Amino acid sequence: MNIDYISAIGEVGVFVIFVILSVVFIEFFLYLHFKLHKLKQLIIIFLLSTIIFIIIAKCLGIFTIKTFIYLVLIEFITCFISYKLNGKNYIPYLLVAPAFIGLALLLLYPFAFEIYLSFTDLKLTTIFKWKDTGHIDFVWFKNYINVFKLSPLSETTFFDLFLRTLLWTFSNVFFHVLGGFILALLLIETKKMKGIYRTFLVIPWAMPQVVAVLALRGEFHSQYGFINILLNKLSEISPFLSKLGVGPVNWLSDHPLLTCTLINIWLGIPFMMVVILGGLQSISQSYYDAASIDGAGYIQKIKYITLPLIKPVLLPAITLGTIWTFNNINVIYLVTGQAGGTERADILVSALYKAAFVYNRYSYSAAFAMIVFLILFIITMIYSKTMSAKHEEL
Amino acid sequence: MKKVKVLFIHLLLIIGVIITTYPLLRIFSVSIRPGDRIFSTDLSIIPQNATFLSYLKLFKETYFIKWIFNSLIITFATSFIGVILAATAAYAFSRYKFVGRKIGLLMLLFTQMIPAGMLILPLYLMIMKLNLINTYLGMIIAYSVSSLPFSIWILKGYYDTIPRSLEEAAKVDGTSDIGAFYKIILPLSKPALSIAFLFNFTMAWNEYLVARVVLYNPERYTWTLGLFELQGQFITQWGMFAAGSIIITIPVLILFFYTSKYLVSGLTLGSVKG
Repeated sequence: MNIDYISAIGEVGVFVIFVILSVVFIEFFLYLHFKLHKLKQLIIIFLLSTIIFIIIAKCLGIFTIKTFIYLVLIEFITCFISYKLNGKNYIPYLLVAPAFIGLALLLLYPFAFEIYLSFTDLKLTTIFKWKDTGHIDFVWFKNYINVFKLSPLSETTFFDLFLRTLLWTFSNVFFHVLGGFILALLLIETKKMKGIYRTFLVIPWAMPQVVAVLALRGEFHSQYGFINILLNKLSEISPFLSKLGVGPVNWLSDHPLLTCTLINIWLGIPFMMVVILGGLQSISQSYYDAASIDGAGYIQKIKYITLPLIKPVLLPAITLGTIWTFNNINVIYLVTGQAGGTERADILVSALYKAAFVYNRYSYSAAFAMIVFLILFIITMIYSKTMSAKHEEL
Repeated sequence: MKKVKVLFIHLLLIIGVIITTYPLLRIFSVSIRPGDRIFSTDLSIIPQNATFLSYLKLFKETYFIKWIFNSLIITFATSFIGVILAATAAYAFSRYKFVGRKIGLLMLLFTQMIPAGMLILPLYLMIMKLNLINTYLGMIIAYSVSSLPFSIWILKGYYDTIPRSLEEAAKVDGTSDIGAFYKIILPLSKPALSIAFLFNFTMAWNEYLVARVVLYNPERYTWTLGLFELQGQFITQWGMFAAGSIIITIPVLILFFYTSKYLVSGLTLGSVKG
């Protein structure tokens, strides 16, 4: 058991050291190129490093035409940049290089790979062939057409998912802002115990999301969950309420989307509350005093003073919240992701995840992902356009 | 009239506090229930015959310690790599004008627009191709750059607030550019560095979806996977799940409340003080 832990630490430690060494190597490689920037020197470096590479690769036995072409290309690009820079102002490039190489390898390359994947035919039956030989068939736009023709899951269609996503995003963001706004208004009015209330109110945000969602999922259990116990007791206490239809509900099986939404509202309010509270605290009391003298009521004060003044903090928070909610796989997958879980709560992104890893339709899921990405891209573009237009009006 | 209003506000806030804290109390109450009463419709917080048996069972019957260890080791490695890469890149964006600066910053914004769920598939296929399925390295590779753009933004914002005169003075005294960064800027930006570290840390610590597809051996699970398995089984290990949740949540809550003050002051002030 103990040896297990030690070997794990060793394994990860070696990897971290490997990363650091490769950063050092990259820096050294670039520094050499940027320092020796004359054409003659560059040609010598270019030839030398190519020869050194061939020798190393031959010794290690990893010499292939493909890697050779890649490395020569990299070498050529660095030489070109170095020639252009002419030995001046090269330090920022040294500083930026490791991060951008990391981003290129682990964010941009996967993104490009996903685009490539969306035109191919990779599924459960072809994946092992791909893994061993690297061969996949090209099917061009078949996957894109299938996204609209076939269900991404087993029965829910793409348009259902799309409408559900809009409903989910809108209702969540609306209640996050509303709840956060009300709580922030209440908090700013209190003098005593403000800190204590604030501490307890941000618990949903502070808790690990996985724990919170799984625990709340349990609370929606039809028999032992807290909510149904409460509803049960209410209907027992007053016959009037039970006549109105108050009673236990099969939350998870009958209303999965509502359950997910309620859980996510609980999770998301504290963030909005903290943001709005920060905005409220920056508003000077004198505005309200002036409004009081003019005879404004509470609602009028909120409408004409508070809302316009917290707009600069509220709008970015709403934009972020919209993108987060749109992309929220966690809540829905954790609630409905078990074997035999329902698909009536799935939104676009969670269907995307399930299509890839529950139904193992990799290429299909990649095409689906590109469409979802385009939708999100268009929404954000329209959103930021209208927002900036409104900003200029103010 | 005024008193009624104050009372009303307090009442509403107390209702809010009950709604936010009650689920946590419920988890605690389930975790100390005796085995035969795990499933009951009892609503009291401290049940009859309360025991810590679920905690003992959790440590004995599952790999819980191993899960926490796995999470810790993956999280520390990714945050460490992430902060090192972000610290230098952010400095370049903050202090230097160079060709490609604008494109670089735009690229960072663009990466934020890619839905996280979208990259899981290609990353999974890459990790599979590298034969790193079910290993720590696969997880670290998948996590390490995911919060890099955000860290760079935070650190750039912080560096911008540090006056340039400090480095200029150091350069007059004969330090190089890199030396000024290493000896002056890095020690001054400890608060921002720790925030970036924490951000990376919480991201990787709470991550579930990548772990779900990369790890399949229960001994290699991170705690998120472990808890999901405990909760999701056909006969739910409700008591053990609750015990595990409490053990995970309490330190996270303490850390959150300890750092939230630090976070606000560290991000907004960014003064010359160390």
